[in-house]
Amino acid sequence: MTTFDSCSLEQASKLLDLVITRLDRVAENVLSIELAAPNGEPLPSWQAGAHIDVLLPGGIVRQYSLCGDPDRTDHWRIGVLRDPCSRGGSIYVHEELKIGGGLTVAGPRNNFGLVDSTRYLFIAGGIGITPIIPMIRAVAGQRKPWTLLYGGRSRRSMAFLDDIALISGGETHIVPQDEFGLLDLDRFLGRYDPATAVYCCGPSPLLNAVEKKCQTWQAGALHLERFAPSEKVATRETGSFEVELARSGRHIVVPPYRSLLDILEENGCQVTNSCRAGICGTCLVRVLSGVPEHNDDVLSRADQEAGEVMLVCVSRAKSDRLVLDL
Amino acid sequence: MVDVRKIRGGEGLDDINDELDEILDSVVENTRQATEAFFAAYDENPDPKILAAWLQPRAWREIDYVFLLNEQIRRYGLAFERRHITLLAKQSFQEAEHYEMVGRAIESLGGEVPVSAPPQAKPWSDFLWDCLERHPLAAIAAWNCSETSASGSFEPTFKAGERHGFDEVVRIYKQIENDEKFHVGLGRQVLAAYAKTDRDREEILRAMRGMRDIAWKTFTPESVAQARQA
Repeated sequence: MTTFDSCSLEQASKLLDLVITRLDRVAENVLSIELAAPNGEPLPSWQAGAHIDVLLPGGIVRQYSLCGDPDRTDHWRIGVLRDPCSRGGSIYVHEELKIGGGLTVAGPRNNFGLVDSTRYLFIAGGIGITPIIPMIRAVAGQRKPWTLLYGGRSRRSMAFLDDIALISGGETHIVPQDEFGLLDLDRFLGRYDPATAVYCCGPSPLLNAVEKKCQTWQAGALHLERFAPSEKVATRETGSFEVELARSGRHIVVPPYRSLLDILEENGCQVTNSCRAGICGTCLVRVLSGVPEHNDDVLSRADQEAGEVMLVCVSRAKSDRLVLDL
Repeated sequence: MVDVRKIRGGEGLDDINDELDEILDSVVENTRQATEAFFAAYDENPDPKILAAWLQPRAWREIDYVFLLNEQIRRYGLAFERRHITLLAKQSFQEAEHYEMVGRAIESLGGEVPVSAPPQAKPWSDFLWDCLERHPLAAIAAWNCSETSASGSFEPTFKAGERHGFDEVVRIYKQIENDEKFHVGLGRQVLAAYAKTDRDREEILRAMRGMRDIAWKTFTPESVAQARQA
């Protein structure tokens, strides 16, 4: 049996029953929560960018970035925004958690780790600052140059400003929208610098804007962490569209939240398939007319942009109507 | 147009993708050659029981994947996104279906379906389970290599099926061929998504290299001959 590193998968799969040791309102609608082991034992180590899964009543699981100091193993800290569109997770955290109460978590695990780079640009929107804070601390500790661009609706809504002020050696731009408008991405991302690693976390519109600015950059230069499903994922389920089956001339309608493959099968149209998840590519169908919305993971970007084929298990339509070679 | 090795979903293999592809190309080619050699020998003596013996380690692979996938999920599942847990469980179900299908084919050829690891499949099975003990991603890497190796056997099997008329075996392997594209793509995506450290990548490479040296061997006519003598 071998030992695993700090953020190993084995460690991340273990459930930990922790005690809430501190609760602080650190900004409008943002609660800082400190967690410790009930027996005071050291918690598993973690690295900047890591998050934990918090298991809440009713089977709700939410991921929250660790935003404390990785060197402190006596407690972990997370920051939780009360989401106005909460489906129960953040409301429970804000209204029900009490000091001394318990919380079951899994982790930590890290899908947003720091890569080695000459310099760093961190871009955070709102509660997206949480994974960024330990990253800045780590980079500052290595005495490497860093820049933080941190935006929020208002200064009152922006969490952990005091923590950020204590980190030295970098360039900090605090940009409340009601004072300065949106983040000036053109200024910071206008020119590709291969020596700079860019990390961004925040709401989808910010991430999409950053992604767009960096779309011609070398792969791997931009590191994103979304704390909401991407817009592509959100839209792929919504909206109905019409499909014409060219070989028979039949027309079918694909309703919202139903897969095209399911509807084809219900209408007696057999399409080879296996994963039904956009991975195997076996349900590839030729598109004769219309614009597909690709939601698969396997077609090349060039094939997706050409729009001449689609995987009907997960992909839908950008146009109102598709004509398929079926 | 569709290359499941180029699946999107993670950057963890970016530094070793070329080496992984070399390993996979190598094991596919070795399996293809072994399968062609088996059917060349089978052409000389087309005894259905020989074909059944050749299929026995295939059947064992399918059911051993079921055991291993479920153990992988039990041990490490909470570290994966829920989508990946679902897809690994789906793979497990499909492997069980394959065991059932290949098992039926073996019985139709007059053979017996293995209910324990056949001796010729033991090194393969032992290595796979050893990988599970070593590292959370190693068994996935090993079975990804093993599943990829099987793709080298399909075309020679289909051609031999046309020559000898074992249509049911061909039909079964056409379905398995589709499912294995899913399994290979899923494995690669999971590895790319969760490999974070150099040690993760070293363990993935170790597992793939080890499986490269094992996976093709049970496809050879010599392996079948030894099994029938035992």
